[in-house]
Amino acid sequence: MTDAAEAEVSGRAERLARWTSGYRPHPDVPDAFMDASGRPREAWTRVLDRLGDLTEVDIAARFVSAVRHIRDTGISYRIYGDNREHAWPLGSLPFVVEADDWQALSAGIVERAELMEAILADIYGPNRLVADGLLPAAVVAGSPEFMRPVAGIVPPGGRFLKLYAADVTRGPDGQWQVLADRTQSPSGPGYALENRMVLTRAFPDLYTDLHVERLAPFFQTLRQALADGAQRSDPRICLLTSGPFSSTYVEQAVLARYLGLLLVEGDDLVMQDGALHVRTVSGLKRADALWRRIDSDYVDPLELNPASRLGVPGLLEALRNGNLVVGNMPGSGILESGALAAYLPGIARRLTGGELRLSGPRTFWCGDPDSLVHVRDHLDALTLRPVATPPKGEARDAIMGPLAFGADRDRLVAALRDRPFDYVAQERMPLATTPGWDRTGGTLRLVPRPFALRVFATITPDGWRVMPGGFCRISERPDLDPGEMRAGIKAADVWIMSNGPVEPVPLIQPGAQKVRRIAGHLPSRAADNLFWFGRYVERAEAVIRLAGAHLGGVGAAVNAYLVSDARSPTSLRIRALLDDWGAISNPNLSTATLAREALSGHGTYGSALRHSLSARANAAILRERLSGEAWRVLADLTDLLDIGDGRAYSEAELVGLVERGLGLMAALAGLAKENMIRTTGWHFVDLGRRIERVINTCTFATHFAGDAATADDLGVMLSLCDSHIAFGARYMQGAALDPVRDMVLLDPFNPRSVAFQIEAIGRHLANLPTLRADGLPEPHQRLAAKLAAEFSTGEAADFDEAAIARLGHDFERLADAIATRYFPNAPNALRPEKLVGLG
Amino acid sequence: MIYTLRHLTTYRYARPVHFARCGLRLRLTDDEGQTVLASTLTISPEPRHRTERRDHFGLDVTSIIIDTPHTELRVEALSRVRVERPSMPAPETGPAWERIRDEALRSRSLAPDAPIHYLFPSPRVSLVPDVTDYARSSFPSGRSALGGAYDLMQRIRRDFRFDAKATSVRTPLEEAFALRAGVCQDFAHIMIAGLRGLGIPSAYVSGYLRTIPPAGQPRLRGADASHAWVSVWCGDGWIGLDPTNGIAMCDDHIVVARGRDYTDVSPIDGIVSSSGAQKLKVEVDVIPDGEPMPEATVTVEAERV
Repeated sequence: MTDAAEAEVSGRAERLARWTSGYRPHPDVPDAFMDASGRPREAWTRVLDRLGDLTEVDIAARFVSAVRHIRDTGISYRIYGDNREHAWPLGSLPFVVEADDWQALSAGIVERAELMEAILADIYGPNRLVADGLLPAAVVAGSPEFMRPVAGIVPPGGRFLKLYAADVTRGPDGQWQVLADRTQSPSGPGYALENRMVLTRAFPDLYTDLHVERLAPFFQTLRQALADGAQRSDPRICLLTSGPFSSTYVEQAVLARYLGLLLVEGDDLVMQDGALHVRTVSGLKRADALWRRIDSDYVDPLELNPASRLGVPGLLEALRNGNLVVGNMPGSGILESGALAAYLPGIARRLTGGELRLSGPRTFWCGDPDSLVHVRDHLDALTLRPVATPPKGEARDAIMGPLAFGADRDRLVAALRDRPFDYVAQERMPLATTPGWDRTGGTLRLVPRPFALRVFATITPDGWRVMPGGFCRISERPDLDPGEMRAGIKAADVWIMSNGPVEPVPLIQPGAQKVRRIAGHLPSRAADNLFWFGRYVERAEAVIRLAGAHLGGVGAAVNAYLVSDARSPTSLRIRALLDDWGAISNPNLSTATLAREALSGHGTYGSALRHSLSARANAAILRERLSGEAWRVLADLTDLLDIGDGRAYSEAELVGLVERGLGLMAALAGLAKENMIRTTGWHFVDLGRRIERVINTCTFATHFAGDAATADDLGVMLSLCDSHIAFGARYMQGAALDPVRDMVLLDPFNPRSVAFQIEAIGRHLANLPTLRADGLPEPHQRLAAKLAAEFSTGEAADFDEAAIARLGHDFERLADAIATRYFPNAPNALRPEKLVGLG
Repeated sequence: MIYTLRHLTTYRYARPVHFARCGLRLRLTDDEGQTVLASTLTISPEPRHRTERRDHFGLDVTSIIIDTPHTELRVEALSRVRVERPSMPAPETGPAWERIRDEALRSRSLAPDAPIHYLFPSPRVSLVPDVTDYARSSFPSGRSALGGAYDLMQRIRRDFRFDAKATSVRTPLEEAFALRAGVCQDFAHIMIAGLRGLGIPSAYVSGYLRTIPPAGQPRLRGADASHAWVSVWCGDGWIGLDPTNGIAMCDDHIVVARGRDYTDVSPIDGIVSSSGAQKLKVEVDVIPDGEPMPEATVTVEAERV
């Protein structure tokens, strides 16, 4: 052995010793790493053995690059009631489970999922459990998740549940225990997927070497489960989201993209002829299956919560007609009722003839007289909470923490007097622990941390299949409940260690998928967002260029079109236009302050920063349609422009900002041009950019190529249109009015001219779907053709200031006409409204 | 007593409505002491699609889809009904309220009229500690449930002021309770909240009340209105109590629907695609057999009782 190798080995041994020597599980709390006798478990020994090959610096470096990937792809989450997005806090240590241990857990999960399906079919069907006294009628009727209009509906496809999840931990005896069943619409499978993608980036070889089970086959099964029962052979599957303000929107976008589902909001859907349809730019298209990620009560304002703006009026009718498959069925959330847990063991004995493999903490429904006596006698050892927790308007994914009722005993006793049946009590159970990094005292070591593990199962024709992995949350503080994502909680990838090598499995089996080139019909709302994404990007660019012209920086290399003399007429015109656009708060600011505001102002609604933030907000809604690179460039752009209120910036620094900003703009345009598939979506992005560009160019021309334009004005005009180099090459002497107008308005070879844009606009419109069967042009197409003719036949002399202004208005009308035709929220679009009835 | 009932609802829109999808709960159903002899529902414009189903509470719901552009939607329900109710048992009879509560809780039925559905908060009836405490003084330990409920009804009649201007169709019951004012809908919701707060199942009933024109004057067309009251579970059946008038349900009351609260029985519920304002007019006539159909017309714009 060489000296270096020897040093490495001893470094490794020393490292491992440093990490684990101080590891002490809490007494009476089971731990994933060490068993009750303090011996390390086999699986963790294998993991640490491999991790120990890496130095701490190595681990950190690999992990940093993975974390950068998180930022670049925009994985984030929201805390309920908080509008900000938080970067996804993934920890570098996995949660590890041995194969045999996992087998036991899986068998219990399958059994439980079967039981859940049977109970749902009974609750919304014959009600035998209630009639036989196995389930109190009050537990069903008292649940706000009991959806009465669903009673009697046989779910198309025969299943209430497509995806079941359970939050599990280890009980004091080390056995797996179920803390909560998730049947409403379990969140987390997308996070499990993302965690895996990130960590495989950081430690690619570990997965193969350690025989970690793969997740891909599970998701393939899940997709089949969602489609199962649909009437058509190649069903359109939609993921119904409550929108970007949902705390798990990003997860939903990830799942939609990974599984090839259409991400839709209630407004995108409409009932027609007894079936559900998606509003697309090609008209209404049938929706066959729905993955419901909004709470049951909100899916149909006609039969359920009339205040809902998230659902589709008539959706239950489609279910009654058998024309729609929904996973999970509305009403499935009733099984999350805390009171049900008290009756599960009895129901299981009746239905399966045996005891449940997985138990949970003992639960007491206070509507039962004997249970109430027990609860009153043992209040201090129990957690009491209302059966019906108030709905939050969002798929509930938190494990409910103990309510601090203990402090106020009088209130508790009063609550139990009038309506004890509104309360459920549960034995407290300490959360089991798993290793996490701790850096206190400067050295990195492992410490036991509380975790919550969510496991998932989906249904196949051969029964339930459990995801060999899961979504784990680890608390960085012993007193913090890891049930909900928030500060101090980290996510962890879940490794199931197979006993033998794991076959690599592609997501799609060969031959299982038809080849096709069109991704499907673009939903109208997505088209709207893509169009505005394009417009905001272009709008930001126009402001950056104008700020650059104001600084005299852009085009300065060509000639001295310097207009930084704040009192020159050209400079005053630039200030006036920036003021018009709302980019600055006051046209009389100093040159540097004014440029800074136009570029980076938070308070000025027309600043480049605000437009790029708007573009980013649109992009956020389009996450499933936008590449990671585009997202990163957008993030870079907002980061670049957001210089805050700190130190003063010199004019030269601001010029640098403008140049870098324009560079990123070019990168974004390049990405769209070179990397985006030419589907309908791309046409809308480019259409938005080009329409915005013609409108801005016409505005520029009325200001800087007007009838009385000076040489300085014309110079600015050329720099705003990035055309000074081409102009210089074509005309040796200085700028004159007609040649400039020809170059920026009419020249079909100049990619910045209006004529060039309108040609592109015409091509886009020709490629978009038409609603007319008679081949006649639609109104927006006629308007575009008329404008194109005017530009292709006109001469520079025809385009005086008044004519340019008129054309600018025409282009705005064209933008409106496109919106009216394709987008759901256009000013003239018909909006659904509630009828108000009277008593 | 046999009645002819006419319930005409008219929506007028400022701009044409191209699409409407509605659920109508306007058809009378048989009830204890009430037999429906005939019932028709006329809708204009003619719906393209019309289906009948029975909802979870046993109510007949007519679902319609109209896709002809229209500026007026008319829904006219005409019925003939015979009402011959047994008189209510004496108030202080029947089982104690605590027994009613415990038995309801132990019941093993989820049938539409099972008391268990009417024990919990519902969309319009939240449980308010103040309202429960108000109801509590009518229910000393051991009192018959019916006696307590009758007393609570009379107290509401005494303590609350009838004022159609004080509340709107959307006013939460807490607000009406604080004002000690409102209309039949408010009084019914308040009484239900109080009863449920103590664990006594109670339901919301919508229907009509026969009115007697002033002596010597003819009945005016459209002068009646829809009405709401409360149905209390008394162990072996439901007993109707009308807190607005402080009386038990009698042959002057005609039941249209029973549900947990107003949302379950609202006569017309739906979604229209429109971009303009809407105006609503409701005309109700309750005509006892033998009286002629009224001639003169009173227009009642969105009146509530």
